[in-house]
Amino acid sequence: MKLEFKLAFKNLFGAKLRTLLNVFVLSFSFVIIIFLNSIMDGWDQQAQKDSVEWEFGEGHLLHNDYDPLDSYTILDGHGEIPKRSIGMTPILERQASVYPQGRMIGVVLKGIPSDQKILKLPTKKLNQNKDEFPVIIGKRFAESAKLKKEDRVQIRWRDKNGTYDANTIIIEEIFDSNVPNIDNGKIWIDIEKLWKMTGLENQATYFILDQDFRKGPFDSWTYRSKTTLLKNLKDLIDQKKASQSVIFGLLLAIALLAIFDTQILSIFRRQKEIGTYIALGMTRLRVVRLFTIEGSVYSVMALIFGSIYGIPFFIYMSKAGFPIPPADQKLGIAIADVIYPVYGLKLILLTILTVIISATVVSYLPARKIAKLNPVLALKGKKQ
Amino acid sequence: MSKPIIQLKNTSKTYPIAGKEFMALKKLNLSIQEAEFTGIVGPSGSGKTTLLNIIGSLDKPSTGDATVLGKEIKSLSHKEAASLRNFNIGFIFQVFNLLPVYTVFENVEFALLLQKKSALERKKAVMKALEWVGLEDQANKRPDKLSGGESQRVAIARAMVKTPKIVLADEPTANLDSENAHGILKTMKKLNKDLGTTFLFSTHDEKVMGYLDRIIHLRDGSIEKDKKMK
Repeated sequence: MKLEFKLAFKNLFGAKLRTLLNVFVLSFSFVIIIFLNSIMDGWDQQAQKDSVEWEFGEGHLLHNDYDPLDSYTILDGHGEIPKRSIGMTPILERQASVYPQGRMIGVVLKGIPSDQKILKLPTKKLNQNKDEFPVIIGKRFAESAKLKKEDRVQIRWRDKNGTYDANTIIIEEIFDSNVPNIDNGKIWIDIEKLWKMTGLENQATYFILDQDFRKGPFDSWTYRSKTTLLKNLKDLIDQKKASQSVIFGLLLAIALLAIFDTQILSIFRRQKEIGTYIALGMTRLRVVRLFTIEGSVYSVMALIFGSIYGIPFFIYMSKAGFPIPPADQKLGIAIADVIYPVYGLKLILLTILTVIISATVVSYLPARKIAKLNPVLALKGKKQ
Repeated sequence: MSKPIIQLKNTSKTYPIAGKEFMALKKLNLSIQEAEFTGIVGPSGSGKTTLLNIIGSLDKPSTGDATVLGKEIKSLSHKEAASLRNFNIGFIFQVFNLLPVYTVFENVEFALLLQKKSALERKKAVMKALEWVGLEDQANKRPDKLSGGESQRVAIARAMVKTPKIVLADEPTANLDSENAHGILKTMKKLNKDLGTTFLFSTHDEKVMGYLDRIIHLRDGSIEKDKKMK
């Protein structure tokens, strides 16, 4: 095998331009596959981190009548805060309407304790103006509703008896989060103020849990772990990854086609050389192995060549990040303005293995023909 | 008299050509002794190359027996045939068949790599073989930088480096000018004498005749004449 490797390297270096082209195309596939996957992994990690820090905490405890995906359940999906509520931050949701510049926009009023520390929301701002109705909103909602900091806007809501009430809220802060779920159409207000506004004293729709929370029998409440809450996000990213693998497949197919083509051409053009190898005492199987190794050596050379320009590129991108166009940020999924790629060992090893194995397979397929060649005709260079 | 190193008994070879069977060799009986310098002479299509290919275990007879160094060619597996060629048979081709991406040294070294000889043994043997053919100063050149005569001398060195029992040369002077052809033949003759290697040529080059110990005339796959020169 050592001899075949030595000969394969020599033959490929001898082929110069043909080798360079194949190696370049394959190395490009290497770099692109690793880079695009690292972007997906980077997005995955960032999105999970942001979702935990801004929305999920260590999990949720939902009122049994409340379904986060069904806004009709907001009206009745709430209950009294249990006595044992260590590690639980209550959130009360109510439907409301705001009227910025005379337009009516349906919103969800979310009451949260202003002194909470589990989410990154700047809830301290909710406590600054006791006499008015200070609220915080997200950047996306502020943009779509054309609201600015310190704007005052009319709000209308229903109290516990179904009676409409209205007042003016003041936009105390506009926060910037990558998690659209806490931003789009959401207005955050101090829970105590919301209790008073609605008459739903000591009520919560759900709880955000922290490390101190201990599971136990909570009647009327359903526990959802962080993992369960993140599942949708993970599924979405996995689905994106799967659809992206079509691009990888195409890229790899182009590179492998170049190797396959070169191998077929080699076997036709190098008949005399094959005949000579056999005449000098190489077994046909060794010649097959030599040509197969030549094909897989392309991938090894591509790995080396790709590392030369790929590693500095990867390092640069891990510092500079990959900017996400604003349109993509409005897709409704947690995505940052800039994604920083994450290069995991598993990703790199898997990519290397995939490329080397597939290059070996596409080299072996045409090389099998050598085993059936007639060495006498091969020596004469006759095409078989 | 030395023992026969190559023995053919009623050896025939047929090829299918255009749907018909073409008989390249017809019940050939032949015996070649060790250290002979023999030429197989005949016009194109007389079966010279087919005969060399069978002796070189690159091909198998259709009927009859061909025994080389005590091994029955017909019964050899691919692996056994490759081993026979690797250790005991050297080939010299009309168009040299040097491997273009290797240097002269590497071309000559190739057979020894297959024999798994150590680097030191290989270097010693390759330089000695290049010395035999007078190319020790061209070791690092690539074949495309060599003349036809030099290329054929590299091919001789490649065939001789493993000190085989038999060297089969298929029209070795056909692509060479007169001066180079004589140079090559003198080299081979010297190696034949010094090392006792059996040389078997296929040729229709008149220049070769004067060097041969024995000339076997082939015509239409049959031996027409078998003449010892000395």
